[in-house]
Amino acid sequence: MKNIDQSRIFDLTDYKRQDFSVCLGCKICASVCTVNDLSESTNPQEILQKLFLGKNIPSDDHLVRYCTGCYRCTGACPWNIRIPEVIRALREELATRSPFEKAFKDSVSIWGRVYEPYVIIMAIPFLLKGGYIKHMTRWTEYMGIHLPHKVKRA
Amino acid sequence: MNVLIIGGGISGISAAKVALKGNHTVTILESSAEPGGLMARIANCRVGFKTFFDEIRDNERLTLISDAKIAKVDKKEDKTFAVTLEDGRALAADKVIIATGLTPYDPVEYKGKRVLTSLEYDAVIDQRQGELPADFNNIGFFLCVGSRSKDYPLCSSVCCSYTLREVKWTLQRAKPEITVFYNDLRFFGQEFYMEKAFRDAGVKFVRANSRYFEEDEKGVTVRYFAGGQLKEERFNYVVLAIGLRPNPQLAELSNLFGFSMNEYGFVNENAPLQTDVEGVYASGGALEPMNIKDSILTGFGAGLVAVKGPEILAKAEGHDERLYREDEPEFVLSDGNTTTCLFYLGTENPGNGMFYEFVSSKFIEAARDLRKAGKAVYVLTRNMVTPSYGEITYEEARREGIVFIHLEEDETVAFDGDRVRIAREGRELIFNADKVIRFDDYAKLLKDREYLSLYRSEPQLRWSPTKWGRKRYHVGFIRHPRDKRWEKREFLGALGEMILDHEEDRILPEVNEERCSGCGSCKDSCPHNAIEIIFEEKTISVFGPNNSTKVPIAHVKDDTCVSCGLCASVCPSDVISFP
Ligand SMILES: Cc1cc2nc3c(=O)[nH]c(=O)nc-3n(C[C@H](O)[C@H](O)[C@H](O)COP(=O)(O)OP(=O)(O)OC[C@H]3O[C@@H](n4cnc5c(N)ncnc54)[C@H](O)[C@@H]3O)c2cc1C
Ligand code: SF4
Ligand code: SF4
Ligand code: SF4
Ligand code: SF4
Repeated sequence: MKNIDQSRIFDLTDYKRQDFSVCLGCKICASVCTVNDLSESTNPQEILQKLFLGKNIPSDDHLVRYCTGCYRCTGACPWNIRIPEVIRALREELATRSPFEKAFKDSVSIWGRVYEPYVIIMAIPFLLKGGYIKHMTRWTEYMGIHLPHKVKRA
Repeated sequence: MNVLIIGGGISGISAAKVALKGNHTVTILESSAEPGGLMARIANCRVGFKTFFDEIRDNERLTLISDAKIAKVDKKEDKTFAVTLEDGRALAADKVIIATGLTPYDPVEYKGKRVLTSLEYDAVIDQRQGELPADFNNIGFFLCVGSRSKDYPLCSSVCCSYTLREVKWTLQRAKPEITVFYNDLRFFGQEFYMEKAFRDAGVKFVRANSRYFEEDEKGVTVRYFAGGQLKEERFNYVVLAIGLRPNPQLAELSNLFGFSMNEYGFVNENAPLQTDVEGVYASGGALEPMNIKDSILTGFGAGLVAVKGPEILAKAEGHDERLYREDEPEFVLSDGNTTTCLFYLGTENPGNGMFYEFVSSKFIEAARDLRKAGKAVYVLTRNMVTPSYGEITYEEARREGIVFIHLEEDETVAFDGDRVRIAREGRELIFNADKVIRFDDYAKLLKDREYLSLYRSEPQLRWSPTKWGRKRYHVGFIRHPRDKRWEKREFLGALGEMILDHEEDRILPEVNEERCSGCGSCKDSCPHNAIEIIFEEKTISVFGPNNSTKVPIAHVKDDTCVSCGLCASVCPSDVISFP
């Protein structure tokens, strides 16, 4: 585990620390986060809080790994806090990339655009491993493929 | 004097009452078809408004103009105003009161058939609208919708309280499961006891919010994050506690009359209840988000200061002995060589709840000072009560790098010297702080005073916002401990309320002193604290020679008693009677 320098994280986002620390702690971000659609229980607010408290964030933190950069959290957040930018900075600092991001980036470098079938193929091992296939309907939406889906009953 | 009141909501009507009582001529301009404002849109408040308004409705010095729109305002040399309406009518006004109220936020992006705003939900549970829907088993309330956010940083002050009331009205008609999702619970006075009662009755409170509402024909799926986990739950209905924003028409009025507005869209209060244009006053929701009782209070105050002039404040302060105020206790934080400070803003005692507002603002103030001095500052909050503009200060504190930790319902806090441990399943946070400042230690300083807001129920406070007894009106800290800006407004409000108070013919209870045993039952029962037990010299002969001794006897304070008769009904020896 690498020690992270929290001020550097905020510097990397081109955004001031105080724009993040205005967070209310309402956890609305967690209620809409795409990673939670897949399966893991992640709370973006906790990442912020860990940074404010100077706590370590492990590089295998689920959010750091799987955040899709969909900005759903930002859209729903009362303060429009740009969490994915913090996460991107964290990745840079921790030198990790999500399987999605890797697939997206490779796709762009090969075809010059996001080629969905490629992304899916590249992400399949991860999906199978995590048992995430059952949530496929949801995350495919964020990649522009719209399959009909039903709302899950509690 | 001609007083022109713009806005026929509860605040405008309150101002009209005071001005009419002083034999002035009053014109109310209402932009809609009917007076009433927001209060007339809430089922359980409609009647209250009507009763209040009916008392002046037929007054011959009152003119109410509905569907009114101002076209032009000319300010005359003598500082009066010539107002022309769009239909051509011309009005002369010596004084103007802006009482245009608030605009409820409309969350278009989330609304649906089962995701309702509080106003819509209110219509659902309104008795007069008929039966409740068949599937009324599980209701979720979500607070702070459209407030405390980037586009509107203020707290709307009333949505927590009205949600509590909507819970009450719901439980009066049906027994659904109710969950309230909150960020903070910003209640007022006795409402903290209501909260406790509802918790005991099974209403769930969750300290987390959500914007994941997936609606279908049968209900709404909601996701929220609590206890370290994402949870998914189904509700039949979801209620969004919408915030109250400034009335957009204020901008137009500001152009017409020339007064200025603040960056949040409310009237700039130059002096208590006054705008920065001479002769133009403001009350109610035109000043800031406030509840009905404060709208009435500021309405009374604005009506008074409009007809008596701003000098009245200095004249009455310290001279009118009916106005009763007390100093707030000193809040001293010794800050020695500390480097890390931790505030604990939480209490297990609902009786301390009403001090949240006061202590929250004091803690923030202290925390900011410490932060400015370069210390690390943490604030653990169970509840942070910073209504209205208080939220702005709270926001600044967050930006300044004070770390606020929001404790969830089931999280425990244990103090062990310098070590503070927060725990729940799956989470443990440990802080080492060389100074720990706790809520209850400060709440202690505030206790055992006769706060009006603690002794009076919501309706009592609403219609007589400052009256403690016949000769005593509470203002400032002793009315309700909160921000200082309220004290002067309350002074004016109390003076207005006094004008309206008519001396009704009261019959006071009489105590048969011979037979009174001084048991104190009546004292305990009196809701107004109007009975004192005094000790009187009495000659008694038990055996042998006469003896003189002091015996307790009930005594009715005639300036406080409201002749309710409770004491007579509880006296075990039947010695209290009404002549
Ligand atoms: C859903 C909901 C529930 C609530 N429940 C409670 C509760 O339980 N308890 C409580 O204390 N408070 C409650 N409130 C808050 C309460 O409604 C307000 O505090 C109160 O109505 C404010 O009174 P007001 O007179 O200042 O403004 P308003 O009631 O808004 O009245 C303003 C009036 O001015 C008129 N007007 C506006 N612009 C102009 C103009 N340019 N020219 C002429 N007239 C104009 C409007 O038509 C309106 O009639 C609730 C609010 C909402 C939204
Ligand atoms: S941007 Fe990342 S953190 Fe935000 S909702 Fe999307 S996946 Fe979650
Ligand atoms: S939604 Fe925004 S304000 Fe709320 S917890 Fe998440 S980051 Fe903080
Ligand atoms: S009163 Fe304040 S804290 Fe409560 S719901 Fe309204 S905006 Fe939120
Ligand atoms: S009549 Fe009511 S108010 Fe008066 S002393 Fe008796 S209990 Fe108190």
